[in-house]
Amino acid sequence: MTVLRTVNLVKIYQNKHVPVPAVRGVDLLVDEGEFVAVMGPSGSGKSTLLHMLGGLDIRTSGEIWLDGQRADTLSESAWALLRRKKIGFVFQFFNLVASMTVADNVELPALLAGVSSKEARARREYLLDALSLTERADAAPAQLSGGEQQRVALARALANKPALLLADEPTGNLDSRNTRDVLRLLSEVHRDGQTIVLVTHDARVASLADRVVSLLDGQIVDDGRIARRRPGRGGAGEVIDLR
Amino acid sequence: MRAGARWIRADLRARRGQAVLTVATIAAIVAALITAATLLEDSTNPWRGLFSQTNGAHLWVHTKDRPQVVALREIDGVTQAAGPYRTAPVTLLEEGRKAPAALRAMPVTPPEVARPVVAEGGWLTSSQPDGAVVERSFARALGLGVGSPVNVTALSGARHVLYVRGIADSADQGFYPEWTPGLIWVLPEKLDRIEPELGRSEWVTGLRLADPESTQFVSQRVVVMLDEEVQRVYTWREVRDAMELDNRLLGTLLALFGIVGLVAAALALANAAGGRVLAQLRDLATLKSMGFTRGQVAGLLLVEHGALGLLGIALGVLPGWLVTWLVLDRTAVALVPLVAITAGTALVVLVAVGLPAWRGSRTPPIPAAPSAPPRGHLSRLAKLALLVRLPPALVLGARDAFSRRVPAFLTTFGLAVPMMMITIGLGVWATLDNFLAHPEQVGQHAQLLVRPVKLTPEEAKRAAQLDPGVREVYPGADVDALVPGVARSIRVRAIGGSGAPYPFPVAEGRMYADRGEAVAGQGLLDLLKVKIGDRVWLSVGGTPLIVRIVGRTVEPDLDGQVLSLGVDSLAAKDVVPPEFWGLALKKGADPADVRDRLLTASGEGLEIQRVVNPAERLSIIRAVIVALIVVLALIGLANLLTASALGLRDHALDLAVLKAMGLTPRQVMATLVTGTGVLVVLGVVLGTAAGSFVVTSLIDLQGHTSGVGAGIGRPPSALTLTVAVTAAVGAALAVALLPARRAARAQLGTYGFSANQ
Repeated sequence: MTVLRTVNLVKIYQNKHVPVPAVRGVDLLVDEGEFVAVMGPSGSGKSTLLHMLGGLDIRTSGEIWLDGQRADTLSESAWALLRRKKIGFVFQFFNLVASMTVADNVELPALLAGVSSKEARARREYLLDALSLTERADAAPAQLSGGEQQRVALARALANKPALLLADEPTGNLDSRNTRDVLRLLSEVHRDGQTIVLVTHDARVASLADRVVSLLDGQIVDDGRIARRRPGRGGAGEVIDLR
Repeated sequence: MRAGARWIRADLRARRGQAVLTVATIAAIVAALITAATLLEDSTNPWRGLFSQTNGAHLWVHTKDRPQVVALREIDGVTQAAGPYRTAPVTLLEEGRKAPAALRAMPVTPPEVARPVVAEGGWLTSSQPDGAVVERSFARALGLGVGSPVNVTALSGARHVLYVRGIADSADQGFYPEWTPGLIWVLPEKLDRIEPELGRSEWVTGLRLADPESTQFVSQRVVVMLDEEVQRVYTWREVRDAMELDNRLLGTLLALFGIVGLVAAALALANAAGGRVLAQLRDLATLKSMGFTRGQVAGLLLVEHGALGLLGIALGVLPGWLVTWLVLDRTAVALVPLVAITAGTALVVLVAVGLPAWRGSRTPPIPAAPSAPPRGHLSRLAKLALLVRLPPALVLGARDAFSRRVPAFLTTFGLAVPMMMITIGLGVWATLDNFLAHPEQVGQHAQLLVRPVKLTPEEAKRAAQLDPGVREVYPGADVDALVPGVARSIRVRAIGGSGAPYPFPVAEGRMYADRGEAVAGQGLLDLLKVKIGDRVWLSVGGTPLIVRIVGRTVEPDLDGQVLSLGVDSLAAKDVVPPEFWGLALKKGADPADVRDRLLTASGEGLEIQRVVNPAERLSIIRAVIVALIVVLALIGLANLLTASALGLRDHALDLAVLKAMGLTPRQVMATLVTGTGVLVVLGVVLGTAAGSFVVTSLIDLQGHTSGVGAGIGRPPSALTLTVAVTAAVGAALAVALLPARRAARAQLGTYGFSANQ
């Protein structure tokens, strides 16, 4: 089943009356449970694309379909309501609410969606436990390491069991050890059936995905599925997987 | 919205100090406004309340003999009459002080019109023939309570003791000591015993009218009908004006401070909320990316910042009410102004936080990039400053100060407004000081008034002239005069002669120089609707008097409704011998010493009265000024904290750069402090300049409306202003220093700004 579909999606910024095309006619189809990495050099339009998919930025033309519903024509408020239920965001700079504790940060989306406090707390406890952050629940974000902050951000993004998780360079600001932790978590989430669209310029991160879409100057230049067998036990394929 | 509530709670917890300051500022402003409104409202209300309570009379007539009340009652417009009551002047002796009083005879059953309302104790009864009921303000001034003995001395010199049976409210006359003599009611038989001589007493009759507006018409009819019998006529308007004398000035001052303070508080609130929103743009964007709608974000901000304001209002109403109740001793705060102030302040608060809330809600939901401050560049002036080797911290700080125009303006303006009000407050203070230091400038050249008691007037004059502290002795008399077309008597003060004129402080025109010339206070010019150069026709005790007003004096007494002239302008019967001698003292002579010496020299044969300086009466204003300065300083502080928080936030990114450039932590701190300091100095200097510019005219305007007349306003001294400016700037810099110090020493995060501000 298709979770996300874009038809000839275009974004043109106006820079002092000079049109600057950022995304030029992207057709993308993401199926349920798929993990898509969008790769490309800086300025290729990948972040813009991701923002449009989440309704943070308005498209200039084209269509966006989310869960079978047309989304590009929605108003700002309707997008907000849609995001609440169906989309989780992870950003490069984590963007935790500085004045709130870790626990509150994670509960916030659930409360926003109208879940009862009890349920929100249960969900938060489950998520923090899954991301091994339980003992940091009452800490302020500033007291956490970058990797921990990004794990909290991930927990927050997953709080409402969104249909689609959008991640914008989630490891762009982390050292290699924390990058490994966050990527491990992302693959675990993916294994549980979460649909993910991730933007990165790091090939190692992209290699985790089922499918890599390469973007250059706002256009898809390559869309390749990574043929991957499930890691067998002692199979010959393991040699190939170990890149 | 539970999500929103949780966010608000977390945000408030993160900036507790700022929130408390905001609440305190609003609370202080509201308390000041309520106090002001009560004072203003009260300035008319005590009369209104008392008048309806006592079923008061609109017109009071003092006559030599018992008038024909039936005839008076038949005048068109008169519905009822009170009296006539016999009244006799006596002197009260309380703890060495003498107080003039009028004993008014009243029956055991209080009358229907102008009925004194007993507040404490009871009304006169025949079972206690030496009982007396004292008017409340008089009793309070003399410290009399129910059961206190009262020593009265009649004109004959005979002493009697009365016992206070009750204390009553009355709208028959103004409050003591603004209105003298004080009022005491006794039984008619007692009055006959104290003052058997009919010639030394008067008859007082009150008339209640169907329409208060017909007072003038009725009063003229009464004057015509009773003709020479009339000693004095006054109306409800005069009583009302007398009751509002002091509070009006105070109330106006407080209202002025309150309203400007409200504007300043609105600025401070807008600045604080705006600064906070700017600091939170990233958080707000995050909230939107999570699914908060624009309306929800706006609502969130409005609720958070608005709630602080509303809490401030709630907290301000209570102390405001308490202050009016405890300090001013008013039992009821009028509901309408209370509601108006609460609603008005709430509206101001919501408008002040509405704009930043709206702006915050417009944040694009992409939180990736921290909001970058507008980049300034070194102006030619700054480059020049660096070239001539001014400290780089100063140059950089000064440049930074204006990189955000609107907050820079809000900060400067937000400091300038309180500073302007403080300057005005200091100007009022200086004016009061000037009253005290130079009483001759407010018409109190003569500081002692001497009335002969046992001596002849000539002996009294000689005794006064012999005293080493006395410079000049002026003959004087106060008489009441009737003016055609004016419903009541006016005060004519004859003092000095056209040969040796009393040095009235003439603000406009010139001093009287001849018989038939007079000077008048602003209040009288307004009352008679005349201007300098006009002729006025008066009747003093039945004798016609025509004077030309040649000048305007500064006149603090009786709302400025006083006509002053030389004794030789009046008929001899009114001023020979003079009623009193006005003593102008030599420089440095203490009035109390001179008074004691004269009393000893004359063997207590003189009654010597010290002229009360209006500044002494207005001394509560000083307390008000101090309180207001505290409130205003609070507002300034709130603004300053916002400015320095915003400055730090904007420059957090620069800090790393500055350090990388080789600035020491001390220099970094200096840069930050300079950034705030430039705005502080600008605001403080602008405010002080504006304040000193308007203060004189403002006080003169107030003087004009209160009848004293223009020409009393004094700007604060240069020294006072310097101290005030230094204190304000110093305090501001000290406040800015702490966060700057912390920021300069802090280790910077990897990407140049700390997430937790």
